[in-house]
Amino acid sequence: MAETEVILTIRNLTKNYNTLSVLKKIDLDVRKGEVIAIIGPSGSGKSTFLRCINAMEQVSGGSIEFHGTQIVKQKNLQQIRAEIGMVFQHFNLFPHMTVLKNITYAPMKIRKTPREEAEKSAMELLRKVGLEDKSGVYPDTLSGGQQQRVAIARALAMKPEILLFDEPTSALDPEMVGEVLNVMKKLATTGMTMLVVTHEMGFAREVADKVAFMDEGRIMEYGSPKQVFEETENERVKAFLRKML
Amino acid sequence: MNSFINVAVKYRALLLGGAKITLIVSAFTILFGLIFGILMALMKMSKIRPFRYFANVYVEFIRGTPVLVQIFLVYYGLPMMGVEIPSLMLGDVDISRLLSGILALVINSTAYNCEIVRAGIQSVNHGQTEGALALGLSPVRTMTAIIFPQAMKNILPSLGNEFITIIKTSSQISVIGIADLMYTADTIRGISFKPMEPLVIVAIIYFIITECISFILRRIEKRMKVY
Ligand SMILES: Nc1ncnc2c1ncn2[C@@H]1O[C@H](COP(=O)(O)OP(=O)(O)OP(=O)(O)O)[C@@H](O)[C@H]1O
Ligand SMILES: [Mg+2]
Repeated sequence: MAETEVILTIRNLTKNYNTLSVLKKIDLDVRKGEVIAIIGPSGSGKSTFLRCINAMEQVSGGSIEFHGTQIVKQKNLQQIRAEIGMVFQHFNLFPHMTVLKNITYAPMKIRKTPREEAEKSAMELLRKVGLEDKSGVYPDTLSGGQQQRVAIARALAMKPEILLFDEPTSALDPEMVGEVLNVMKKLATTGMTMLVVTHEMGFAREVADKVAFMDEGRIMEYGSPKQVFEETENERVKAFLRKML
Repeated sequence: MNSFINVAVKYRALLLGGAKITLIVSAFTILFGLIFGILMALMKMSKIRPFRYFANVYVEFIRGTPVLVQIFLVYYGLPMMGVEIPSLMLGDVDISRLLSGILALVINSTAYNCEIVRAGIQSVNHGQTEGALALGLSPVRTMTAIIFPQAMKNILPSLGNEFITIIKTSSQISVIGIADLMYTADTIRGISFKPMEPLVIVAIIYFIITECISFILRRIEKRMKVY
């Protein structure tokens, strides 16, 4: 892949909860269209890292630059979040809205998209995630895998520049992991910029352009899947991978 | 039996007047108690510590003291604090008394509604707030369009109980001379020298009012069960 422009620049990012230091000087460049898998043991700060990127968490130090503007100093958090979407482990669909309304609500309210247009593109998105027949139902009637696909469609409806995934398949029954990963794979080929926290090593290896291994609040290893999975000399990475594979 | 009907017919104007006052007092208390209860709940969950502190003390104090004491405290306390509600008669209704009675009940029900609303809001999974904010929705819209509608489902049954409690509790403002239903029962007893009849009649009227409220609330609850 040709080197594209860097759209997200993270430098010296730190995050503390009181005295607990969760992120310790993280640097990362994210290029347009890149898929970066973030792997690492539990408690290493992966979720916190993602949450800092879309301003769901206030950072303690360092900088996050998105298209040249500082997220850290940005007053308008809503605007950042509209540009940097997020998909959660537990989907977080709105149970009092139909699938269609879940997807159209934010574009209509935030982007002021007319209803007709919002519904048309929502149906298109539902087709892409294979759920065009579910537009009228409430989320509770869907399986976990279906709910997560709706959640991906909902995030995409805002036309974000970057999509963050925090363990999107960890809450799913094993037989549903595949359908969600497939949607994500397809999304990756469309040039979507994605940061994916995952325990699915197969996905990281096959789909990601870069893999970041996080441990104790640092990115300990960073490189192509080949570099991280096969050529690493780092003992912690090796030990982690042995456990995961 | 005859004697009950006789009393009811003979004093129907008094009884209707009393029922009207009870309904007016209850309606205002329910409305403003709900508004202030929601505000108090937001204060209690606020990031601003003095707000939280105030709401906590307020709720604890009101829930820990008898409503009768609160009614007298407002009735005698307001003028002493320099708040004079001007003496105003509307027909045969003493507006200033009525206002201080409503105020006391609003103060009381605010505390209970606060807890009901807070519990309802906090019963909504935190993931809902996260999901809404992550889409770029504002905190206010997140609260009003995402969290509150879901909280309503949990809030409504408890709120219904509180509304019924308000109607019954409103009988206590008769002690400061507000001519509500309860006061009417006393009045009728005084002029007719019959203690039982007016009490039973008034009890029935209270019961009819609370049953109507229950009925309406059950209908609303059913409607909200679409998802
Ligand atoms: N709101 C919070 N307050 C205090 N500590 C927190 C908070 N959120 C996270 N932490 C701590 O920060 C550390 C990193 O948490 P984080 O959730 O980012 O890890 P993670 O890598 O995503 O782990 P997992 O794989 O279990 O999801 C943990 O030690 C956690 O206890
Ligand atoms: Mg996590």
